[in-house]
Amino acid sequence: MDIYSIRTQIELEVNQLNSREALEAFRNKYLARKGIISQLTGSIPSLAVEERAAFGKEVNLLKSQILAIIAEKEKTLAAEKPSTPAPGGGIDIGMPGIAQEIGRLHPITQTIDEITSIFVQMGFSVVEGPEIETEYNNFTGLNIPLDHPSRDAFDTFYIKSPAKNRLLLRSHTSPVQIRVMKSRRPPLAIIVPGRVYRPDAVDASHLFMFHQIEGFMVDEGIRFSDLKGVLEVFAKAVFGKEIKMRFRPHFFPFTEPSAEVDISCIICQGRQLSDVLTSQGKRCSVCGGKGWLEILGSGMIHPNVFKHVGYDPTKYTGFAFGMGIERIAMLKYGISDIRLFFENDLRFLRQF
Amino acid sequence: MKITYYWLKDFVEIKISPRQLADKLTMAGIEVKGLEEKDGDFVLDIETTSNRPDLLSVYGIAREVAVITGKSFKEPKPPKIATAQNKTDFDIKINSPKDCPLYTAKIIRGVKIGPSPGWLKKRLELVGCRSINNVVDITNYILFTYGEPLHAFDFDRISSEGIFVRRARRGERLMTIDAGECLLDEDMLVIADNNRILALAGIIGGKESEVSGDTKNILLEAAIFAPVLIRRARQKLGIETNSSYRFERGIDSETVQKASACACALILELASGKMTLKKETGLLKTRPRSILTEVASAEKILGSHILPKETIKILNRLGLKTKRASKKMLRLTIPPYRNDLFTQIDIVEELARIHGYDAIPNTLPKITPQPPSLQKRDLVSLTKQTLVALGLNEVITYSLISRSLWGMFSEGQDVSVIEVENPLSSEQEILRPSLIPSLVKCVAHNYNQRQQYVYLFEIAHVFSQKEGNLREELQLAIALSGSRAIFLEDMVVKDTAGLLHLKGIIETLCARLGVERYEFVNRNHNQIIDICISGEGAGSLYQIPRRILNYFDIKNRQVIVAQLSLDRLFAGAVLTKQFFALPKFPAITRDISFILKEEIPVQELLAALKEQGGSLLAAVTITDYYRGKQIPAGYRGITVSCVYRAGERTLREEEVNPIDATLRALLEKRFQAKMR
Repeated sequence: MDIYSIRTQIELEVNQLNSREALEAFRNKYLARKGIISQLTGSIPSLAVEERAAFGKEVNLLKSQILAIIAEKEKTLAAEKPSTPAPGGGIDIGMPGIAQEIGRLHPITQTIDEITSIFVQMGFSVVEGPEIETEYNNFTGLNIPLDHPSRDAFDTFYIKSPAKNRLLLRSHTSPVQIRVMKSRRPPLAIIVPGRVYRPDAVDASHLFMFHQIEGFMVDEGIRFSDLKGVLEVFAKAVFGKEIKMRFRPHFFPFTEPSAEVDISCIICQGRQLSDVLTSQGKRCSVCGGKGWLEILGSGMIHPNVFKHVGYDPTKYTGFAFGMGIERIAMLKYGISDIRLFFENDLRFLRQF
Repeated sequence: MKITYYWLKDFVEIKISPRQLADKLTMAGIEVKGLEEKDGDFVLDIETTSNRPDLLSVYGIAREVAVITGKSFKEPKPPKIATAQNKTDFDIKINSPKDCPLYTAKIIRGVKIGPSPGWLKKRLELVGCRSINNVVDITNYILFTYGEPLHAFDFDRISSEGIFVRRARRGERLMTIDAGECLLDEDMLVIADNNRILALAGIIGGKESEVSGDTKNILLEAAIFAPVLIRRARQKLGIETNSSYRFERGIDSETVQKASACACALILELASGKMTLKKETGLLKTRPRSILTEVASAEKILGSHILPKETIKILNRLGLKTKRASKKMLRLTIPPYRNDLFTQIDIVEELARIHGYDAIPNTLPKITPQPPSLQKRDLVSLTKQTLVALGLNEVITYSLISRSLWGMFSEGQDVSVIEVENPLSSEQEILRPSLIPSLVKCVAHNYNQRQQYVYLFEIAHVFSQKEGNLREELQLAIALSGSRAIFLEDMVVKDTAGLLHLKGIIETLCARLGVERYEFVNRNHNQIIDICISGEGAGSLYQIPRRILNYFDIKNRQVIVAQLSLDRLFAGAVLTKQFFALPKFPAITRDISFILKEEIPVQELLAALKEQGGSLLAAVTITDYYRGKQIPAGYRGITVSCVYRAGERTLREEEVNPIDATLRALLEKRFQAKMR
C-alpha cells in the first residue's frame, strides 16, 4: 500500500470517527504495534538506500498527521456528553458532591457588615467603643440630664464598682459620639456598630441585649437635608429602590430637630391603610395596618452636645442617627421573634 | 394617652376625618399609635414625647390641632362661681415653696355623692378610666381635659385647722387608695394635717380621706409640685399614676386655676353643694420668656428655605409673639405652656415641624474621606472569614450570665467578676469573664435539636476586674463537638472532633493572620494546652470536664473548646506580605516510616530531626500516621517526610544519603523508633 492511497483512505475514515470506540479502532489500525505505520516503518529496510530517507520522512509526516487527527477528535468527543453512563467505573453524578462544608456568619454580623459597607462606600469610617461606659458619656454628655423623664426611655444596667463615677452598660451606641468628638476635630463621618444593653423584660420583640448602629457626621454647613439624603441612600440600599420613606418629628435629648424615620411596609406596601378603622382582623402583621415601619431615630446633633465636647456650635453642625440591628434584620429576613438570634440554633444560622 | 375625636371638637373646629387628623398629628410629631371607632366616637392613642408635657391633655392636643390645621382654638370661658356666705377658715402651710410652688384649695360643702351622668362615664371609659363616683370622675375628667391632676379629699376627715405641704419624715406611713401601704422618707412630699398624712403629693391619695358614698364636704386640691421630687418618690415606691406622670413632666401654672374652677363648677352642677372657701398659696408670677433668633436660622440647619413671612406666620400660630429685633433677628415671646422652648434650635425645630419635614429636600453632603488604615475591626473580620471558611458557624450569645453558670466553669481560675447592680433576673447577674460557658450552652441547645456535630465560634468582649480596675477585652472562643461524616471518593468516614481539630483551626488562623511566633504548650498533665504567642500566654485549648457535660445532659460526646485573647493574637499579626523567589533547583524528598511508642511525643522528635538535619534539611513534616492492624499495641506507625534543598545548586543524592542515615539512627537510638 502506498502512502498516497493510505491518505485517501484516512480522509474517508475521518468522518466516521463519531465515537470513542471508533476512534480507538482507528488508533489501533494505524498506530498499534502491528498497525499500518508500524508496517510502513518495517518496510524501510527493504527499500533502496537512496529512497529510505525520503520514505521515512513521508511516514513520519503521516504519523504526525494521524496523531493530530486523533487529538482533534478526542477534544470534540470529550466536549460531548457520553450517551450512556459507562457501566461499572464511570461517575454516578447523583452521588453527594465532596467538599468541605463552610460555616456561616451570624445574621446579625451579616446585617452589620451590609449596613456599614453602605456607609463606608459613602465615605464614613467605622469606630467601635467599650460596652462599659461612664454615666457622663451615656447620658450627661448627650444632653440627657439625671432625674429627667427623658432618661426613662433608657433604662440602664449599672455595674457594681468601687469607682467614684458610676459605671453602666451602655444603653445605646451614642456614647461613642462623645468619645470620638472629644478626641478628634471635624470633619467627621463615623459609623459605630455594637452591643447595647437595657433591662427590658424579654418577649418576642424585646431583649436585654441587642445591637445598634450609630452614625454621625459633623462639619461646617451640615444640614437636615443632608441627613435625609444620606438615610435615603441607606434605606434604598437595604430595603430596595421602591420603598418610600418618611421623616416624622420626634424628640431625642441629643438631637434637635429630631426625626423618626419610617419606610413603607415591605409586606403590605401600605395598601391596607384605609382599612385601619374597619377590618381589625385583617391588619398586616408586620406594620399593624399602619402601612409604615419605624426603622431608626435621627436628628441634628444638639448644640449642647457640641458644648460638652468643646466644639463651637455656631461653627459646626452635624447629624446623627441610630438604629437597632435586630429590628432591621427581622424586617429584612422576615423573622418574627428576636430571641431566635441568640438561641443560635444551627438550623437557624445555616439559613443565612 | 387616649383622647377622643369629639372631645377634641369641644376645643377646636375639625373638618377632616379622624384618619386624616391622625396622619397630620403624626407628621407633626404627635404620634398617633392607634385609632379605633368606639361607641360613636373615635379613640386616638397618642404617644407624646417627654419634652411636651403641654400635650398631655385634650386641651393641649386641641391647641396643637388648631396650629396644624389652621383652624382657630376655642378657649372656653372661665366659669363664674359664687362663694357662699358661711365662710370656712382654713390654713394651708407650704414648708418649702421650692417643693410646692403653688397650692390651691376649694372647699365645697353639701355635695351629694352618686353615679356620674352617662356622657361623663362614656368619655372616661373611652380613654380607659373606670368610673367611680361623680366627684372622683370629675377630678379625672378635668385631668384628662386640662392635664392638671386634681385631688378631692373628704373634708370631714381632715383636721379643720388646716393642712401642711411638707416632706415626709423617715418611717412615716400612708395607706393609699389602691396601692397598699407606703413607707415614706424625707425625699417624699406629702399633704398632711396635724394628725396624719393625707396624701402622697402629686402621686396618690390616702385611703382615710378618700371621697366615699358618705362624703358630704370636700376639699378640692389643684397644685404644682416639684417634678424631681415626684419622679424620685414614684421611682422609689414604684407607683406611677396619671397624676405623677404629669407632675413629673411639669404643669403649666396657668391651667391650675382654670382646671380647678372648671372642676368646681362641674361638681356644683352634677353633685350640687356650695363653695365656701377658695384659697391659693404661693402663687407664682413668671415673666414670659423671650428668645432672640435669626430669621434665617432654619435655612442653615434644615437646608430648606422658609420665607420670613411664613416663619412669622408659623410662630404666631404656635402662640409665640414675634417682634423684629433687627433686620436679621427676631425677638420671640414664648407662651407659658411651652416650657420646652429656650433657644434658637428649639425654634428651628418648631418651624421644621409645622412647615413639614416632607418639605425639606434630600441632599448629599460632601464627605472628606479618611485614609483607610488597618483597624482591629478588619482583623476581626479576617478572623471571622477564616473560621467560617473552616466550617465554623458564628454565634452571638448574651454578655450577661448567671453567677451559677460561671461558678461551674470558674474552678481553678483566678478571675474576679463584674457584677450587675440591677439585674432583672438571675440570668443577668454578672458580666461574663469568658465566652466558654455560653458556647457550651449553645452546644447543648443544638444537641437537644438533634444535631450530630456542632462547630461554633464567637467573638465578643469579656469582662473582669483586678484591684478595682475593670477590664474589657475581645476574646475568641471556639467549641467543637460530635462527629461529622467526611465523604471520600469510595466511602464515608466518621470524623470525631478532638483537640487536634482545634489545633489545626488555630494554626490556619495564625497562618492567615501572619502570626509566626506561636506554640502549643502542655500544662496540667496534658489536660490543658496553652497557646503562647510571642512567648506570652494568649489562650488555651481543653476538653470540657464530664461533670459539666452531665449538667448540660451531653452524653457520650466530648466538647472541645478554645479561648484566645484577640489583642494578643493581633499583636503578633503581620499582614504585610513579602515575596520570596520560588526555588530554582529541585529538592530531594526522603520519607522515613517507623513505629513509635505512644508515650513519646512527636514534637521533640521533629525538633531533634530538624536540628540533626542541618542546613540542607529544609522541612520535616509528618505525612502519614496509623494505629491498628500491623502495628503492635502501644505503638503508632508514623511517616515523616524530609525535604532537602541546597540554595543555588542542584542537590546530589550522595549528599542526602548520609544525612538520611544519621536521622534514621537518631530515631532508633534516641526515640526507640523501629524502622518499617
